[in-house]
Amino acid sequence: MFRLTGLRLGTLALLSAAAVAYTLSTGFAGLELVTEIAILAMLVVALDLVAGFGGMVSLCHGALMGVGAYAFAMASTAAGMPVLPSMMLAVGLAGAIAWLIGALCAGSQGIYFIMVTLAFGQMAYSFVFESPFFGGDDGLAGISRPDLDLIGIDLNRSRAFAFYCLGALAITLLAAAHILRSGIGRALVGIRDNERRMQALGQTVWLTKAHVFGLSGMIAGLAGVLAAQHVMYISPGLLAWTVSGEALVVVILGGLGTFVGPVLGAAVFVVLRHEVSAITPYWHLVVGLILIAVVMSRANGIFGFVEDSLARLSSRRRHTPAEPVVDGETRDA
Amino acid sequence: MLDVRGLDKHFGAIHVTRDVSLKLEKGERRVILGPNGAGKTTLFNLLVGEIAPDAGTIELAGRDITALSVAQRARLGLARSYQKNTLFDGLTVAENLGLAASVATGTARSILRDCLGLGEVRETVREVADRLHLTPHLDDRVSTVSYGIRRQLEVGLALATRPDVILMDEPTSGIGPEMAHSFHHMLASLPRDLTLLIVEHDMDLAFDVADTITVLNYGEVVFDGLPDAARSSALLKEIYLGSWEDA
Amino acid sequence: MDLGFWVFQTLNALQLSMLLFLLSVGLTVIFGLMHFVNLAHGALYAVGAYIAATFSGMLGYWAGFIAAPLIVAEIGLLLYAFLIRRMRRSGPMAQVLVTFGLIFVLLDLTRIVWGDIALGIETPEILSSRIEIGSIAYPVYRLFIIGLGATIFAILALVLTRTQIGAMIRAGVDNDQMAACLGINVERLFLGVFCVGCGLAGLAGAVAAPVLSVTPDMGLQILIPTLIVVVIGGLGSLWGAMAGSLIFGFVQTFGAVLLPGLASVLIYGLLAAILILRPSGLLPARG
Repeated sequence: MFRLTGLRLGTLALLSAAAVAYTLSTGFAGLELVTEIAILAMLVVALDLVAGFGGMVSLCHGALMGVGAYAFAMASTAAGMPVLPSMMLAVGLAGAIAWLIGALCAGSQGIYFIMVTLAFGQMAYSFVFESPFFGGDDGLAGISRPDLDLIGIDLNRSRAFAFYCLGALAITLLAAAHILRSGIGRALVGIRDNERRMQALGQTVWLTKAHVFGLSGMIAGLAGVLAAQHVMYISPGLLAWTVSGEALVVVILGGLGTFVGPVLGAAVFVVLRHEVSAITPYWHLVVGLILIAVVMSRANGIFGFVEDSLARLSSRRRHTPAEPVVDGETRDA
Repeated sequence: MLDVRGLDKHFGAIHVTRDVSLKLEKGERRVILGPNGAGKTTLFNLLVGEIAPDAGTIELAGRDITALSVAQRARLGLARSYQKNTLFDGLTVAENLGLAASVATGTARSILRDCLGLGEVRETVREVADRLHLTPHLDDRVSTVSYGIRRQLEVGLALATRPDVILMDEPTSGIGPEMAHSFHHMLASLPRDLTLLIVEHDMDLAFDVADTITVLNYGEVVFDGLPDAARSSALLKEIYLGSWEDA
Repeated sequence: MDLGFWVFQTLNALQLSMLLFLLSVGLTVIFGLMHFVNLAHGALYAVGAYIAATFSGMLGYWAGFIAAPLIVAEIGLLLYAFLIRRMRRSGPMAQVLVTFGLIFVLLDLTRIVWGDIALGIETPEILSSRIEIGSIAYPVYRLFIIGLGATIFAILALVLTRTQIGAMIRAGVDNDQMAACLGINVERLFLGVFCVGCGLAGLAGAVAAPVLSVTPDMGLQILIPTLIVVVIGGLGSLWGAMAGSLIFGFVQTFGAVLLPGLASVLIYGLLAAILILRPSGLLPARG
């Protein structure tokens, strides 16, 4: 069951402190980095909710993020709605679509689940790409950030916007923790462990999956809104399956189902990408090798490795036998 | 409490369940026996809701549940335990029981409160653990406890939903004779308002626990009565032991 | 839209189908036989195209046509020995991730070796003309692709149904543990099938190269259509690969012309529907 252990809270506190300190002191390049990390972390938190805790590996979360971005862009520019209602509409729409996908895919397992989410994600991508309303390959420009003049904040300044995104990430983490500790979050973990038994106990499993998928979609949608506001321009590429793939890589790197993994993974990934891309144009090679290494090592990403190592050390110190591995299988969907 | 009428099931050309009827009163302990291939498992799955009958009805406390799904029947008070341990291996014993109790009270759907922390859920966990001697293991992960404890927990999950009827599929499967006896004792000492229907291979359990015995052979009911009558039935001896008459 | 239009589009659809068939048959038999999801299959197709481009540049088209499948099959051998064999018993998630990582590794390796500029190949002399079919003039090379796909299909069908190796493969797809008990060297069989599958991917790349341009991300582009074909057609079966390829080829080609903007959405909708309602596909190897 999900628990906010001392290690997790401590790591998050450390990361928050580092983020705030860095954001206060760095220049434009650094602020862009922070913003990128925060938005990616939000997307990956959304993914970890269903994949790490629910065992539902999704390749449509990039598309859900794109739905949020496009819905916000259309609402605020084409339909002329004010920013805050546009944001709410975008988040709600992404959540609704995610709910639908979750409901339709609830009966699918393993590789089939991965592929059917991919199918839905691609459907959304093609729809946006080929539809004349959304600007096609050219995308949409002229997106504006929220107007916080009333409280004296100008979100057009990078530092303010970076804090805005960090704040959104903080809210996301609080929301995710709440969901995981609520009844439906407990049920989700139960479903992941033994869906059949949950069914036999009387839980309407498909509905639980749909609800959590919907909540996850809302978070992904919010990430999309922020992404749109960040660059003030969007293109169909946001919905490409490679974005979902990237989110998956990040959560694997950070650690599935560790709660901290998405944030840590996002930070490491973005920083690594910037550093590596400065030295060589072959960033994909590095990503591919890292991914293969992490998966074949059977460790649960960086934070998972830390948690498991500490658990093993402490159980050895207490002279109790280490936990037998159930079935000797890796953590799989 | 449980009224089964004329249940019939074919798998292709094989007639697995033939016109099976039985009636359980509230609080009754019924054991279903039968040689391999008699159709006990199919009957069990029909009652639980995992497969649909070709004909016949099932009524729970007067309500027709024939068309209802597994989850729907569970919510109406029909719990089941599995022959092969179907537990939440990655969770602790307490969390297992807590989940079961939460699902039953509908609190495992809430987005507001933590079902595992609720008073009524914790109370149920305590009670069931107490009754099944699981209390010392509450904080142990299921994957680390012994088979016997897991078998107890298997029944515990069903109990934690506070059902009216529990359908048990070979509850002592895999348990050695020493433990089996205390298991029978545990089953016999369950609250008297709980109705039990047990599918079993083990004769000892049948005679220790049952109020009534139903015997299946080739998909149909061949005996329905008291344990003593079963013990002395020539028909049953023939079914189980075969006869030495010339073919 | 006269008859010529329909003939033209039908031939285009068939050509696309045959290309996809060459790619998907390897992927589907690998999945059906080894229960292994090899997402890097598309990357191997790209490598095949690049190899063909290199060889044909020096020694003519047919050199590339022969070299590509052979070399890519070799690469498949290496991948199997060092990576795939270790991942075989892992769950689908681990396989997806490792082969996903492999896509990126291969993508950048092709960029390192061949650079970022798109390459092109000339079609061979004898296939460079156009043939008159009614009112239209259709490139002979594309007819060659159709013919090649059909021929390979026929050869594979023959091998699978009429030879002992074919019977062993079908047994392995049906129940690999049982097949092993019968004395079939399942490991060697898998290796063989894997290499042939990779070789076919390389061949597809060599054959596609004159028609599409050879770019580093061509593997990524063809991956999803291939997955769609495999899923819709049915896992593990030759007929499924053909059926899926034809369905995709025709829906995509005619859809792009008659219902632009909706064709892709339709295809993905069909994919989703199949995955939800009939996950094993239309003509799976196992019912």
